[in-house]
Amino acid sequence: MSDDKDMSAFERKTKQVFDESVAGLDAATRSRLTQARYRALEELKPQRSRALSFTLVPAGALAAALLVWFTVVPPTTVDDLEVASLNDLEILLAEEDLEMLNEDLEFYGWLEEQPEFANAGDGIG
Amino acid sequence: MELALSIAEGGARLDREGALDSGAQIEAFLREVEARAYRIAAMNIRDRHEALDIVQDAMIRLVRSYSHRPSEEWRPLFYRILKNRIRDEQRRRTVRSRVLSFFGGTASEEEYDPIAEAPGASSDDPLERATSGDAMQALERALKELPERQRQAFMLRNFEGLDVAQTAVAMSCTEGSVKTHYSRAVHRLRAMLAEHGEEQWA
Repeated sequence: MSDDKDMSAFERKTKQVFDESVAGLDAATRSRLTQARYRALEELKPQRSRALSFTLVPAGALAAALLVWFTVVPPTTVDDLEVASLNDLEILLAEEDLEMLNEDLEFYGWLEEQPEFANAGDGIG
Repeated sequence: MELALSIAEGGARLDREGALDSGAQIEAFLREVEARAYRIAAMNIRDRHEALDIVQDAMIRLVRSYSHRPSEEWRPLFYRILKNRIRDEQRRRTVRSRVLSFFGGTASEEEYDPIAEAPGASSDDPLERATSGDAMQALERALKELPERQRQAFMLRNFEGLDVAQTAVAMSCTEGSVKTHYSRAVHRLRAMLAEHGEEQWA
């Protein structure tokens, strides 16, 4: 009976000592425990909103990458491309230039038939 | 028709309020147990950062898997998760030690004690070391000498205040086993502390 009484006193003492050690935890540890608790409570958020946040993050990253791409690439390059494309179109669509090319061919044909120019291309004369 | 809508809206509001209440309840529960759980993890693992990680993991698992359960069940479930995480970490350290030993490390299989070998939580933090008294250090030393199941039973029953049934759930054993382990733990602790001349325990 006396043993039981001593045991109870001993148990009270061990519990008191443990409680004091818990009360003496430093601020950094308590802060880290608070962060851990908040992290755990994140699990209470609906699955849909967490899934949405997981899909929004990559989408946002892609949008940011595109934005950076269009702001970093020099605008003159784009202008040059546009001008080049327009020039090609103008050449293709310009009828007078094609007609002039026809006349030139006829001229070069006539020139080749002339005797004074017949041996001009062999490098002797 | 209006009555039906009103009932549906009322039900939805009650569900939202219930969820809020549940969230507030489990937050209060975690706030209540977090420091004690950390102290127990640190005593077993002897590493401050590892102990913090273990407590966070136990909290996350409780909220993820058991937040919908009645709040009366949270405490034993939480300590069961915590106990399992501590055991897993100790096993991981034992395996790591064996691998190190195999490849010529310093720790041999016979000599290695994961608790004794790991850096002490109190030695990591000067403030914590300053605030922890001699009595706690003596108690920790004595606890290290106990078999694992006796140590678990003592910590859960005495430190955490779980009753026999809750401790049985946390330890995944019968209530009879809890009583046996706890009784033996108390007797051995008292004998060890008296033997080492710890006067404050007299």
